[in-house]
Amino acid sequence: MIAHRNLGLVAAAATLLAAAPLSAIFERWTWLIQAVIAVAAVAAAAALARLGRTPLWAQVLAMLGGLTLALTWLFPSGEELLAVLPTPGTFGHFAELLTGSVEAMRSYGVKVPDVDPLLFVTVLGIGAVAVLVDVLCVGLRRPALAGLPMLAIYSVPVAVYVDSVPPVPFAIGAAGFLWLLVADNVDRVRRFGRRFTGDGRDVDVWEASPLAAAGRRLAVLGLALAVLVPLAVPGMTVGLMGTLNSGVGSGLGGPGLGASPGRVDLFAALSGELNQSRVTDLVKVTTTEQDPFYLRFGVADDLRADGFRVRGPNGQRATGNLPEPAERSRPGIERTRHQATVEVTRELNMPLLPFYAEPASFSDLGNSWFYDPNLQVLFANRDNSRSKKFSFEYIRSTYTPQALRSAQPLPADLPLRRQQTVTPDVPEVRALVAELTEGERTEYDKVRAIYDYFSEDNGFTYQLSTEEGTSGQEILDFLENKAGYCQQYAAALAWMVRDAGIPARVAFGFTNGNRRSGDTLTLTNRNLHAWTEVYFDQIGWVPFDATPSYGVPGSTRSAWAPDIDAPEESTPQTDPTDTPDDADPSAAPERGPDQFEAGDESGAVGGGDTPARQTPRWPLLTVVGVLVLLLLLAMPALRRYALRRRRGRPAPVLRTVDVPDGDSAEPGRPLVLVGADSDRARADAHAAWAELIDTLVDYRVRVDPTETPRATADRLVRETLTADAEAGTAARLLGRAEERARYARDPLTGEPLPAALHSVRGALAGQADRRTRLIAAALPPSVLRRWRTTLADGSERLVTGVGRLRHRMLRFSPRRLIAQRVSR
Amino acid sequence: MTQQTWDEVGGLLPYDEFRAASDAIVANIEQVIQGKTATVRLALAVLLAEGHLLIEDVPGVGKTKLAKALARSIDCSVRRIQFTPDLLPSDVTGVSVYNQETHDFEFRPGAVFANLVVGDEINRASPKTQSALLECMEERQVTVDGVTYQLQTPFMVIATQNPIEMEGTYPLPEAQRDRFTARIAMGYPDPTAELAMLDGHGAVDPLPALRPVSDADTVRRLIGHVRQVHVADAVKQYAVDLVTATRESPDLRLGASPRCTLQLLRTARAVAALDGRDYVLPDDLQVLAVPVLAHRLIPTADAQLARRTTDAIIADLVHRLPLPHDRKRSPYENRPPAGNGRAPFEPRRP
Repeated sequence: MIAHRNLGLVAAAATLLAAAPLSAIFERWTWLIQAVIAVAAVAAAAALARLGRTPLWAQVLAMLGGLTLALTWLFPSGEELLAVLPTPGTFGHFAELLTGSVEAMRSYGVKVPDVDPLLFVTVLGIGAVAVLVDVLCVGLRRPALAGLPMLAIYSVPVAVYVDSVPPVPFAIGAAGFLWLLVADNVDRVRRFGRRFTGDGRDVDVWEASPLAAAGRRLAVLGLALAVLVPLAVPGMTVGLMGTLNSGVGSGLGGPGLGASPGRVDLFAALSGELNQSRVTDLVKVTTTEQDPFYLRFGVADDLRADGFRVRGPNGQRATGNLPEPAERSRPGIERTRHQATVEVTRELNMPLLPFYAEPASFSDLGNSWFYDPNLQVLFANRDNSRSKKFSFEYIRSTYTPQALRSAQPLPADLPLRRQQTVTPDVPEVRALVAELTEGERTEYDKVRAIYDYFSEDNGFTYQLSTEEGTSGQEILDFLENKAGYCQQYAAALAWMVRDAGIPARVAFGFTNGNRRSGDTLTLTNRNLHAWTEVYFDQIGWVPFDATPSYGVPGSTRSAWAPDIDAPEESTPQTDPTDTPDDADPSAAPERGPDQFEAGDESGAVGGGDTPARQTPRWPLLTVVGVLVLLLLLAMPALRRYALRRRRGRPAPVLRTVDVPDGDSAEPGRPLVLVGADSDRARADAHAAWAELIDTLVDYRVRVDPTETPRATADRLVRETLTADAEAGTAARLLGRAEERARYARDPLTGEPLPAALHSVRGALAGQADRRTRLIAAALPPSVLRRWRTTLADGSERLVTGVGRLRHRMLRFSPRRLIAQRVSR
Repeated sequence: MTQQTWDEVGGLLPYDEFRAASDAIVANIEQVIQGKTATVRLALAVLLAEGHLLIEDVPGVGKTKLAKALARSIDCSVRRIQFTPDLLPSDVTGVSVYNQETHDFEFRPGAVFANLVVGDEINRASPKTQSALLECMEERQVTVDGVTYQLQTPFMVIATQNPIEMEGTYPLPEAQRDRFTARIAMGYPDPTAELAMLDGHGAVDPLPALRPVSDADTVRRLIGHVRQVHVADAVKQYAVDLVTATRESPDLRLGASPRCTLQLLRTARAVAALDGRDYVLPDDLQVLAVPVLAHRLIPTADAQLARRTTDAIIADLVHRLPLPHDRKRSPYENRPPAGNGRAPFEPRRP
C-alpha cells in the first residue's frame, strides 16, 4: 500500500515535470501554481480512493472529481457552494472558458499572458494527463504507456513554435518519465518482498548484473543511433543543420504549405475590405519621415492566365540588421534613412506584416518572422500579424525622371526579366502596348507612356463596384470599360508594362490615409491599396500608382510618376504637409541584376543565393560521411593488421647483453641464457603465440583459456590441422616456444616462428569456409572481442564504483535511519 | 646406519645420467608390470619427490607387485608390512626392549626403518596402527619412549588398499590420507598387455628375478636433481589457484591443504624431470591434479548424492581454471564462476 501511494506521488510529480515545456508558452508562472494544485487534487483523490481499496473505475472517478473540485476552486464563476462544490453555473462557466480559449488561442501569439481561458485549458489538460498517468502507472501498471500523454504536453510548444523549443524543459519532462519507470520497477520488485541477492545485500544496492550491462549497452547504442541517424538522413538534416547554419529557415513559404503566406489571395482580401461598410482601424504607423510613400505588405508577381498570383515568399529570419542594400550612386537618386514603428491592431490578421520598402533592420519582431529581400515582404509561417508591434529602420529612395531614363533595357536572358515579363497571350493588349510605346526610346518613357494612358482624359474612372479579377479577359474588359479601382489599375499597368518587355509586379499595402496625428498615421481597411512596381536596371523596383488619386484617400504621387489627372482633381484627403514637388518617396528595392543571375531557373526569383551555394556541399558531405563510415568499419581490420605487423617484427632489444661466461656456469646445469637475446626470444615467442591465438579466434577455432600452450598445440594438430602435417609441426613449434618462454629458464631461440605462424595461418585459412575468411579479414572477431571485453570491463568497473559510492551514501539516507528506528 | 646429507650427495646429476638412471628404473619395473608406463613413472616421480604413494584398486591388478617391483629395482633397504587388524603401532615404529646384558632398554627398530616401506592392505589395520605412520611419513622420524630416531633418505611408504571390499576395513583418516603424496589406481591392463603378461608370467613369476638397477645413493642424487627443476612464477600461481579452487568449490566440503600444494609442486618437478625438462609446465600440474589432490578431498553430501567422485570434481576444476600466464586478463577468458565470487563490496549490515 505504501509503495502504491509512493508510485502515485511519483506519477503526479512526473506529470508536473512533463509539463515543464509549457513554460515556453506562458509569460508568467501562474499556470504552474494552478497545475500543481490540480495535480495535487488528483493525486490526493487517487490516494484516498486507493486507501479504500476501491476498484480502478472508482479511482478514476475519484480523480476526475478531485480535478473538478480543483478547477472549480481555481476558476470560480461565483455560484459555487463553499467555493469548491460546482453548480450547473460553474459548468456553464467552464464551457464559456473553453469556447473563450479557442478565441484566445487565435488572438494571442506566444508568449501568452495569463488569461483565464488559456489557464483553464492548460490546467484542465495537465489534470487530465495526471489522471491518465496515474491510471496507467498505478492502476494498470504500464508506466511506459504513460509517456504518451506526457509527450502530448510536450507537443503543445512544439506545435506553437516554428523554431525549435528549448531542450531543457524536455529534458526535465524526460527525467520525470524515467523517474516514473524506475519507481515502478523498484516497486515491482518490492512487491515480492526483499530482493534476494544471495549474500545478504539489499534491494537498493546496485549490482553489476550481466543483464544490466546488456541494458546499459543497448541504451548507449540507442541514444547514439537516435542522435546520429537523423543527422545522417539528408531530408532531416536540412532542417536540423540548416537552422544551425546561417539562420536560413527550413522549408519556408512553399506554395503548398498550409497557412503559408503564399496562399493568401491578396486581391480578394483587398476588394473585400474596400467594399466593407464598416471602417476598422488596422494599422498605426509612426515614422520620422515627413511624407512617406505607401506602407507595403504584399506582392503579386506571378502572372498566369487567370491573373496575378501571390508567390510563396522565401527568406531569412528578420531579426537584427538586414544586409545593407547596395549603395547606388547615381545622379538623381536620393537616399534618406528613417525610422518607423508599426502597431497592428487586433483586426488585421494575416501572415504578413506591413512596413515601408527597403528596410534596413527590424526590431521586436520575435523569431517567427522572415524577410524576403526579393519580394520585400515580411512573413511568418506560424505566426500572424494580430496585435503585433515592431519598429524598423528603412531607406527611402527618390528618383528623378532623368535618373530613371538613364536605365538601360535589361538583357533578355536575365532570369528576372524572363520571369517578370511573362504575360498570357492577349493580342488586344499586346497591340495596345505596341501602339502606346511606339517611338519611346528609354524604358522609363515606355512605362510613362503606358502609365499616362490611364488618365481621365482617356476616360478612366475610379469605381469600386466592378468585376473582380485580373485575368486576361478581365483586363480587356477593364481597358474597354475604363472603370475600376486600384486592383484593376495596378494589374493592368503591370500587365502592359510586362508586355512592353519590362519587369513589373503588383504591390499591396496601405495608402497614407487621412487620419494623422503628429507623426502617427492611423490606417483603416479603406486605405488598403494596390499599385504597380516596375524594375529598372541598376535601380531596382520603382513604384507607379496608376489609380486615379481621387478614389484613393491618402494617395501620394512622385516626381517620376506624377498625378496625370492633376488639373481635374485636387487631393483634399492628403495630409497638410503634402508637397507635390518635394522629394516624393517611393519604394525601390534594390538588387542589381547581376545578383539575380545566380538565381535558379525554376521560377523562384527569390530563391536566394544561400541554398544555391549550399547545394553542391551535399555530395561532398555525403562522400566524407561514407568515407568516415568506411573508415569506422575498417577500424577492426586495420587494428588487426597493425597487431600482426607489430607481432611479426622482432622485439626490440630491451637490455644490454649479459651473457655469463662459460667458466662460471655450473657444470651439469644447462646453460641459461640471460640478457637481451633471452628477452627478445621470449617476447617473440609471446608475440607469435598471441598472434596464433588471435588467428584461431578469427577463424573460429575454439580457444580455451584453461589450456596450456602444449595442450592447445596438441589439440590443433589432433582436431584442426589433421590434413596438414607441416602446419601441425609449426603449431607444435609455436606451442613449445611459448611454453618455454613462459615457464622455462631460457626461451627457445633461433626458431622460425614467423614462418611457422604463416604456415598455421595458411592452413587455417584453407580450411575455413568463405564466410569465415571474409569475416576474419573484414571484421576480425579477435579485435572485436578484445574491444568488447575492454568496454564491458570499463562499464563493470564504473557500475561497481557507482554501487560502492551509493552504498556509502546510504549511510546518510534518512530512509535507513527511519527504518532502523522502526525496527527497534 | 649413517646417511649422507644433501651436501654430501654431490653435484648435480648431468641430464643424461638422470635420464639413464630413471629410465633404467622404469624399464626394470616394466618387466613386471606391463603396459602401465604412466603409472610406473608416476610412482617413480613420487619417490623422487620424496613423497609417499597410495595405490588403490581392486584386488589382483598388481598393486603389491608394483610396490615390490619398485622396491626391488633399487638396491636399498626394503621392509614390508602386511597390515592386519591385529597389527600394533609398535610393530610399525619399533619398540624398546630390556637388554639383560647391558641392563638397559634397547630400541628395536620397527618396519618403517627402511628406505622403502611397502604397506600392504593398509586399511585393514586399525586406526591406532595406521596412526603410527603419521609422524614417520611427514617428519621422517620416529619417536619412541621420548627418543626420536631419524629415518633414512630416501624414505618412501608405498601403501596399497582395496576400495571395494569394505568389510573388516578401517578407512584411512584424513590426516593419514593427506600424508600420501599421490594416490594412483592401477586399472586393468589392456588386452595386449594382458596377453603379453600371460606369456611372460605364465610359467614363472619374474619378480624374484628382478635385479636392482639403482641404489639409494643414486636415488638421492636423482632427488637432488629434481629439486633443481625450475618453477616459473606463473606455474606457482597456477598451483595456488588450483588448490584455492578446491577450497572454494561448492562441491567440496574439505579442500586441499598447504602441504598438498607443496607436494603437488614437488611431484610436478619430478614429473618434469622424468619428462626430460628442467622446468615445470602447467601441463604437469594438470596431469597430477587428480592423483595428488583427489584422495585428500571430501565431497559435500550433495556431490556424494549426485555420485560425483572427487576425481571428477578435480577434473572439472582443472578444466575450468584459466591459466595465469599474464597479469592482464585475456579477452578469451570466461567470467569467473559465479559461485566463488565474493561480493563486490561489504554487506550493509553485518
